[in-house]
Amino acid sequence: MENAVYTQSRSRLRDYEPIVGRSCLEELRTLAEELGGKVVQNINSTFIGGGVAEILEHMVPLLNQLGVDTRWDVIQGSEEFFEVTKKFHNALHGKDEKISKEDFALFSEITQKNLDELRFYGDILVVHDPQPAGLIAKKKETGRKWVWRCHIDVSNPVRKVWEFLRGFVADYDAAVFSAPSFSQQLPIRQFLITPSIDPLSEKNKELDSGAIDSVLTKYGLTSEKPMIVQISRFDRLKDPLGVMEAFQMVKKSVDCQLVLAGGTATDDPESEEVLEEVRKQAEGNRDIHILLVPPGSDLEINALQRAAAVVVQKSLREGFGLTISEALWKAKPVVATAVGGIPLQIINRFTGLLCHTVEGAAYALKQLLSNPEYAEQLGQNGKEHVRQNFLVTSHLRNYLLMFLALDHPEDIIHL
Amino acid sequence: MLDWLRENWSSILYPVLVFLATYLVGLWIRRAAYRAFDRWATGGRWEGSHLIVQVTRTPFLAWFVMLGAYLAIHVSALGPSTTALTDKVLVALFIISITWVAVRLAEKLLRLYIGKVERLRPSEALIVMIARITITVVGALILLDAWGAPTTPIILLLAAGILIATLAFRDILANLLSGFQLAQGEQIKVGDFVRLESGEGGYIDAVTWRNTQIRGLDGNLILVPNSRLLQSTVINYGRPLKKASEPFRFYSRLHLKEVTGLKARNLTELVGTLKKVPGSVVYYHTHNFLEEHQYLTPEPANDFALWVSDELGDEVLGEKLASIDTFGFPTIAALRARIVGVIEDYLSKNPDGRTAPAGREFHFIRSISVILPTAYVVHDLREFVEVLRKISINSLSFHVFEARLRLQKGVNDFSIWIEDCLGDRDLADRLAYLDPYNYTLENLRSTIIQLVEKRIK
Repeated sequence: MENAVYTQSRSRLRDYEPIVGRSCLEELRTLAEELGGKVVQNINSTFIGGGVAEILEHMVPLLNQLGVDTRWDVIQGSEEFFEVTKKFHNALHGKDEKISKEDFALFSEITQKNLDELRFYGDILVVHDPQPAGLIAKKKETGRKWVWRCHIDVSNPVRKVWEFLRGFVADYDAAVFSAPSFSQQLPIRQFLITPSIDPLSEKNKELDSGAIDSVLTKYGLTSEKPMIVQISRFDRLKDPLGVMEAFQMVKKSVDCQLVLAGGTATDDPESEEVLEEVRKQAEGNRDIHILLVPPGSDLEINALQRAAAVVVQKSLREGFGLTISEALWKAKPVVATAVGGIPLQIINRFTGLLCHTVEGAAYALKQLLSNPEYAEQLGQNGKEHVRQNFLVTSHLRNYLLMFLALDHPEDIIHL
Repeated sequence: MLDWLRENWSSILYPVLVFLATYLVGLWIRRAAYRAFDRWATGGRWEGSHLIVQVTRTPFLAWFVMLGAYLAIHVSALGPSTTALTDKVLVALFIISITWVAVRLAEKLLRLYIGKVERLRPSEALIVMIARITITVVGALILLDAWGAPTTPIILLLAAGILIATLAFRDILANLLSGFQLAQGEQIKVGDFVRLESGEGGYIDAVTWRNTQIRGLDGNLILVPNSRLLQSTVINYGRPLKKASEPFRFYSRLHLKEVTGLKARNLTELVGTLKKVPGSVVYYHTHNFLEEHQYLTPEPANDFALWVSDELGDEVLGEKLASIDTFGFPTIAALRARIVGVIEDYLSKNPDGRTAPAGREFHFIRSISVILPTAYVVHDLREFVEVLRKISINSLSFHVFEARLRLQKGVNDFSIWIEDCLGDRDLADRLAYLDPYNYTLENLRSTIIQLVEKRIK
């Protein structure tokens, strides 16, 4: 069992001032002071890989810089356990998965093991996603505030799995969802907090053309043809095969190239299999580039997004889809499916183009590749939209507000 | 011994007499001269005259003692080498005494004049020290020259030292000189309100030999190096304007979104739920767009209008809802009644046949407002404008939208303060009649600033 207390960060809070303004940081400091020394304990299933780890990696040090003692622990589980939680993940996204009694039993068994081994010391415990949700059993002993932070799209879950999970979630003090459509009928308060990107991280900081070119060279890419890029884990829910299909349609009228770049996560045993399928499908097509980027290749991801003419995110299901905010922050035009939290980021025809089908994606891609001025305007709007709503400072503010609201049921809270 | 004295009495007596005579002449001259000096000093034409009299009175007699000794030695029968040696000693003593007098005089004169210039007071010790060192070094060089010691290498060494010190302390020297310029120019005075190129504004607290201290409106002290201040564009507004009877404190307001779990698939469900939800839900759906999409012109309309148009595809009702003038309603209850009325009226003439696709329902969200104080407290319109430039759009929203509608004050906070505490009814009315829903937040900020600045001018 690991424990990490993050106080060091590559970014200092004051570094965000030129991006979000001084008053924004002043408000954060005021909110942090109001928490009066409470300890916040985050619990999830992995330190590396995936959106949750990435968010915590940036949030935890910044909360500490604000004076909020914030820590991060992970649960331990076997490979079989993570196979079960992956099935849960798919089922909560609405995919019909075969989940046996033994699977539920294994989930309960590993949860119990973690209940025995993990130390619960926070005044506010934030439990992320379904994997550690069962730890709520400890609430009776600790008596503190427990929050379940759901990062995934549970708008149309397989009822059997949701009912199982709901048994845990209903005991929390509050739940947090990324989009209104993810919320459920629950007897507890439900807050809406969108995730965020860190504009100063390796993945989002400004890059010069030399740095971008060196990454393109490293992966054998050329900037001669406009590049369509999808950055995501090799996961069926990200529909990489659908993206290739749309690309083939675009390719008939616009000479371009496609880059599918992503990695794998320790809690996703299925991704290797999907990667193989994608590679097989792309075989023989010199304009489709499948790039397996290892964890920590943030600079490479940044360069690929910046090199893109259009960024695409054709997810079938999506929790929030942080890669969209990453692309918008780089003022890139984006084509994405209207699922999960994506419509919060892409306001159709204002900050990007939404689609529902492969054909719709192909049509939108052609529109943007053929009209660069329109594409640029969407990108600029998108960047401002992210600055206003999806930067890590907004995320910090929402978390601090939520921590304060746990003790205040009223609509208007005077500090 | 007695025999030697008997034979050489004249060679002793003459030098002694010369020495005593010179001393007596010195006493007489000092008395006469200092009577005249005292009269001159008492005349008060120059206040430094007292210092000259005070500093030179004692060494004046010593100089005649030295002169007497010099003359006595030269009329004595001492050998040329002894005479030359004593000459050198006497010259050295004279140079030392002159240097000492010059140091004391310079010190007293500097203290006298620096004491009169407030801006130079903090640097008094430094200036006196520089003068003391300079005069002592010059005296030492003259002394060495008188003794025939080579002074050129020492002068070169000193010059190199001064050059190095100048380079090392160039910023300090630049600030010092700029401080003198600021003091002389009198363009910036303590108590003035200034705004810097960076946008920072505040009152001049002090001008020291290194920097100018500006007290910001949030209470923080801004230190600007004098040299930088002289090189940049500074707007000096002069003295403060009319003070308000009560200061205005800026607050900020942050929103947290709470999902109610309630949703609507069609117009009937929408209007049915809208009647029951708390006012904080109505406020959210009629104001959320102002903040989330404040960079867009024109901004999207309220959430009800958007959903009806985009998801139900009913552009006629969408337009009716978008055109509801939120500014025309003093309370959330009145606004809700109007929205409900428009939908019900439409439903009475049109069947509710349209249903939103799965996943695109209208979700009712509650706005939780957390109101927090900022560091900004203003006492007049100048301070008000300066703070308005830097507060967050959250603070602006709170005082303009939330105070009027959600806190049910009927009018924005700025108008209330300007009328009640500054007695400026005209300006208060101009701000009160400004329809904030027609602007993006940044444009609203600029418009209010322009109105207030026009009044100040």
